[in-house]
Amino acid sequence: MLIQQLVNGIVVGSTYAIFALGFTLIFGINKVLNMAFGSIFMCSAFAGLYVVRSLGYPFWLSLIVGMAAGGVLSVILDRAAFAPLRKRGAPDFAYVLTSIGASMILLSLAQKLSKTENLRFPFGTFPEVAFELGGVSIQLLQLLIVGVGVLMLLVLMYALFWSSLGRRIRSVAFSADTSQLLGINAELVNLQVFFLAGALVGLAGVLIGAAFNSVYFLMGEPFMMRAFAVIILGGLGSIPGALLGGLAIGIVQSLSYAYISSAAADAIVFAILFLVILVRPTGMFGLESAVVRVQRR
Amino acid sequence: MIDYLLSYHSVLDHILIYALLASSQAIVLRAGTFSIGTVAYAAVGAYTTAILTTKYSWNPMLAIFAGAVLAGITSGVMAFPLGRLRGIFQAVATLALVQVVVTIAINWDGVTNGALGINGIPKAVSTGWLIACVGIVILMVRQLGRYRLGRAMDVIREDETLAVSLGISVAYHQRLAMIMSGLLAGLAGGLHACVSYAVTPEEFGFHMLVQVLAMAVLGGTLSAWGPLVGATVLVVLPEAFRVFAEYRNVVQGAWLIVIMIYLPRGIADTISTWRHDRRVERANSRATSPDPKLSRSST
Repeated sequence: MLIQQLVNGIVVGSTYAIFALGFTLIFGINKVLNMAFGSIFMCSAFAGLYVVRSLGYPFWLSLIVGMAAGGVLSVILDRAAFAPLRKRGAPDFAYVLTSIGASMILLSLAQKLSKTENLRFPFGTFPEVAFELGGVSIQLLQLLIVGVGVLMLLVLMYALFWSSLGRRIRSVAFSADTSQLLGINAELVNLQVFFLAGALVGLAGVLIGAAFNSVYFLMGEPFMMRAFAVIILGGLGSIPGALLGGLAIGIVQSLSYAYISSAAADAIVFAILFLVILVRPTGMFGLESAVVRVQRR
Repeated sequence: MIDYLLSYHSVLDHILIYALLASSQAIVLRAGTFSIGTVAYAAVGAYTTAILTTKYSWNPMLAIFAGAVLAGITSGVMAFPLGRLRGIFQAVATLALVQVVVTIAINWDGVTNGALGINGIPKAVSTGWLIACVGIVILMVRQLGRYRLGRAMDVIREDETLAVSLGISVAYHQRLAMIMSGLLAGLAGGLHACVSYAVTPEEFGFHMLVQVLAMAVLGGTLSAWGPLVGATVLVVLPEAFRVFAEYRNVVQGAWLIVIMIYLPRGIADTISTWRHDRRVERANSRATSPDPKLSRSST
């Protein structure tokens, strides 16, 4: 029972981690608190669902469509809501407000289009295969989710730390102006980062829609609140932190769900977020340099 | 005319309560902190008032007062850890606080009556009371700018380093702003409970947070009128554009983006800066009207 719950926790935690990877990318690089990611996540899930339900495409294609939809939406969001603010040198909270505005637009359009219905993937979209291992059952889809989580972590680490794109991204994160002087097109790098982050969030959307077999226009908000908890716990902008934080939150949640109550699970997650940010705001893997940005001395 | 106004008095009540909440938000923004816990403190005030009036049959005025004080104490306690954080992290922490408060309100059945909320709160507050409260708050915020406290807050917001070098204690003033914000939010929450007869946990969630934040920023956080202007615009506008009722959130979201980009200081602040500039211009031209060439060198 305990091991089964741990396995469930790891699966749920991996979905949080995939979502949080996209979130932490933007948070770490652009220093923007993007409140519209919950809605992009939801819209991508709808896009993936649409491809399977209406066009009859296979599931793997819907994952790709979800990623593309998330990436494109995220780029549009950056152009419409963030780029004008960057140009004007607006304060931090301006970004929060414009992203909330964008999120309201997406939410309400999705509500209209889905007619407030809770939609499902058609039966047999994903082969229902379960493995038994010492009394613990794992479904193929669950294995896929964990696998995708680890894969995305590796891909992102590679993209950020071993590729030339990654060097450009990190230099823009350090200082956009200096990068411009060195001949890096900072706006282009920004677009790439937003596309990457949106694609990760979109992938998480389709996977979670399939895992819980439910796609609903309000599905983004709780995941975004948990992604907050994950990136704060993992440490600002830290990529391994996002994965470990996601797993930790997922395990805590499924254990308290199983042994206390569903309501307690949410309360505990938010209490963790709250305590971590007050006691150790840089999280588990926060860099020393992050402390300056986070805390006053 | 009076009938017409009376038929809309629930809208008016709504505007006034939101104006109070928005001034609670504006005052922390003014002091350069980005705490968005107003909704959590409003929930504390509303629930305290509701519980004291229904279960212990307190006098509603006394209960509202107690709610405001408790909310002020809560935000005062929160101010210590929050003061150590910077900008966006304060926002995330207070966002978590709002979620914690809502979760407690939903799950602490014995005290808050769970998801159903508390009904049968005596309607002890008339529109006149609300107008008086908003009037007093506007006066107080206006006065604040004339004293050391308000000016210290303005310096901190504009340039923290400068404030420190002038000998202004950043932490002290920001804490004070947070306590004032908590008191105001608790007052607004208590009044809200008494105006609407009932409180439910869902009211104090993310939606209200966004509304309050949008009102404070749209109106302008510096001038005393800002929150009232913001609340009026954001409550009346959807009523006026009933045609778009289905796309209400789309319109509101687009509004929020456009305003933040093109009018980042809000309506009231933009107008008052403009008026101030004109006054200075006129004073200059009057002082040096004989010779316009000289005036430029003297200013």
